[in-house]
Amino acid sequence: MRRHGSKIRWLRVAHALLTAFVLGFLPLSLHAAGEEDRVLMLYGVDPYLPPFLVMDRAVRETVVSQSGRRVLFFSESLDTQRVNLETIESELVSLFAKEYGALRINVVVAVSRTALDFFLRHGERLWPGARVVYLGFVGYEDVATKLPAGATAVVSILDAAGTIDIARRLQPLARRLVVISGTSEIDRTAERQAREALAKVGDRLSVEYLSGVPQAELVARVADEGPDSIIIYLVQFRDRDGRPYEPHDVLRAVVESSRAPVYGAAETYIGLGAVAGSAASYEARGRLVGEQVLQALAGRFPEPSRTVLAAPNRCIADARALRRWSLNERELPGDCQVLFKDVSVWRRYGWQIALTLAIVAAQAALIVGLLSQRRKRRLAEEAEQAQRAALGRAARLTTAGELTGAIAHEINQPLGAILTNVDTAELMLDSGRDRREELRRILDDIRRDDLRASEVIKRMRDLLGKQNLERKVFDLNDVVRELESIMRAEARRRSVALEIKRAPEAIAIMGDRVQIQQVLINLVLNAMDAVADQPEARRMVSVTVAQSESGAVLTVRDRGQGIAPEHQARLFESFFSTKPSGMGLGLSISRSIVEAHGGRVSADSDPVEGTVFRAELPLAAATGAS
Amino acid sequence: MPPLIHVVDDDASMRTALLKLLTEVGFEVRGYSSAGEFLLQDAPDRPGCVLLDMRMPGPSGLDLQAAMRRQNLMLPVIFLTGHATVASSVTAMKAGAVDFLTKPVKREVLLDALERALAADATRRTAQEDASRLQARFASLTPRQRQVFDHIVAGKLNKQIAYELDIAERTVKREREQVMLKLDASSVADLGRLAELLHQSPAR
Repeated sequence: MRRHGSKIRWLRVAHALLTAFVLGFLPLSLHAAGEEDRVLMLYGVDPYLPPFLVMDRAVRETVVSQSGRRVLFFSESLDTQRVNLETIESELVSLFAKEYGALRINVVVAVSRTALDFFLRHGERLWPGARVVYLGFVGYEDVATKLPAGATAVVSILDAAGTIDIARRLQPLARRLVVISGTSEIDRTAERQAREALAKVGDRLSVEYLSGVPQAELVARVADEGPDSIIIYLVQFRDRDGRPYEPHDVLRAVVESSRAPVYGAAETYIGLGAVAGSAASYEARGRLVGEQVLQALAGRFPEPSRTVLAAPNRCIADARALRRWSLNERELPGDCQVLFKDVSVWRRYGWQIALTLAIVAAQAALIVGLLSQRRKRRLAEEAEQAQRAALGRAARLTTAGELTGAIAHEINQPLGAILTNVDTAELMLDSGRDRREELRRILDDIRRDDLRASEVIKRMRDLLGKQNLERKVFDLNDVVRELESIMRAEARRRSVALEIKRAPEAIAIMGDRVQIQQVLINLVLNAMDAVADQPEARRMVSVTVAQSESGAVLTVRDRGQGIAPEHQARLFESFFSTKPSGMGLGLSISRSIVEAHGGRVSADSDPVEGTVFRAELPLAAATGAS
Repeated sequence: MPPLIHVVDDDASMRTALLKLLTEVGFEVRGYSSAGEFLLQDAPDRPGCVLLDMRMPGPSGLDLQAAMRRQNLMLPVIFLTGHATVASSVTAMKAGAVDFLTKPVKREVLLDALERALAADATRRTAQEDASRLQARFASLTPRQRQVFDHIVAGKLNKQIAYELDIAERTVKREREQVMLKLDASSVADLGRLAELLHQSPAR
């Protein structure tokens, strides 16, 4: 097969060279310069069927690209596969006579035997002097004798044998073979060829011919075939009841319902679901026809000669169909052209796909980049928030540590009283006398002290263990009052004189009372630290609550030695501390709390007078909150 | 005379509770809300002790303890505190506190401490009474008899005493008998012991 194919290729090369040589002398030959050549494409089949579209284009491209003159194409259809030509033939002829009466046609391409026969009957009258190039499909035995003098024929040999050979390579174990064909002339010719080819195969295969079986029945029949059968679809233009078909539609229906692989001996069958076949390419045939048209236009065919050419058949297969029936591509002949391979998509659209992928990848990278940036930013924000919370906790724990003594004192005082009262009550009961009134008074004392102890614990918890923020209106005086006992306890512990001055009027602040208490405690502890090393006369701290025109002012004053000027600027920075064990958080957190309440903290320091910290807070009415 | 217990605590409920308990136990009590109040009282000379809160506004418990010593108020002191630190307890004990108790305090612990304090006070008082009796006797000696006493406890013989005081040895003997009689001593050893007590006596 391969040797045959290469011989054909050589022939074609020779043709091309000859054509080029002829074209070189074209202006000197039969036709006068300036006159155009006219070619009529006469179809005996539907010219819009896919194979004919491919072929028609190949004919025109070949002629136009290689002719040195202007070539006009005309096209007529005698679609006789589905319409009975006899009923309209006389009208058609008179129509053509009118159409082409004044037009000289140089070459008629007769596509199909019907068209050739029509030309033989009417060509002399309708297109006088025109040479004919016949494009036939199957069979050429009688073509040569029927062709008029000076005509040329391009036929295809329906390669039933080659197709059967390919099928048996793919399915070596198949025992049954079904051949499908119709009842039209082309159909019958194809079937005849298949019978001849199969006669040589021998009787190892049981063969059944489905000739002209109507499509519905045909579909049912192939559905009954097992996957081990081979189905050869030749061509079916017409069934035994004379019903016309489009052969590709029949193939489609067969392929759809068949459980056995379907093979077809035409190029256009591959792609409609047929697995493989041996067929001439329509494009190759179109080019061959085109070359013959050029020869005819150049007057290369002397009167008596009749030329018959055949386009080469070769193996062609469909990768998708191979996959559908689980057939192995490697069993195909080596030169077989396998269409619809996945890789071919990549090959054909390689750079487009690559570009698209690159754009998609770039977009994806951009999106991923933006997302990760956003994520990073969010994580950083969360980390900062967590850090701030941790600093707040650390500052509170530090405060708690500093206040331990004061807290213990504040709680042990009522606890001590309670225990003592319980002891007393016990002794009273043991005395044996009726002392109910005294006992009742003691119980009252115990209750009062118990509530007092739990109040201290609650306040400390609020102050030191606080998590959630509140926004409520409260009196700044209350903040000081609630902490007075603990501040006094701490002042006693440190032997510091503590003076507390509250405002006579209520000072309404909007915000978190406990946070403001943290600020107060922090400022007071700082002040006490500042006077720790001072002589007794200067160990004084004062807390003042007052109202100014700008709002509420909480002042904490100490009589310490003041703040060194070089430290003053960094006073409110985190982790800045002049104390050996200080964490440097208290003032920075105090400031952020006050600022969160819309206020500000300031410090004035003097080595003689000491230091004054002022926390200014807007009044609740002024913040506009309810 | 029954002992009187002074309770100094700025915390009203603690003070009241302590006063009630001690009354119930059978003590006579007096309460004060500050160190100053205690110091300004018209202190009766009675056996007793002071139950003193360590931390108070104004002068602290330690301040009061020091002031009492200066004023020769020798009542034993028991400290009570809500929150004891090592430093404050050491200072208190060095200054002569009988005990250092932490609130809340158990009844038994408090009563034990009171018992010890009262016992210490009683011992001190007895010693003080003995010393003042001795001093009274000693005061009854004539100047000559005191001179003789000093020489006797110095371990000198009659002859040496007569020579040093430039008096007759017979006179020394007579005065010696008078000293032994007035001081209720039966031997030179007794006189030596009395001399020692006199020496320790704060009145001296």
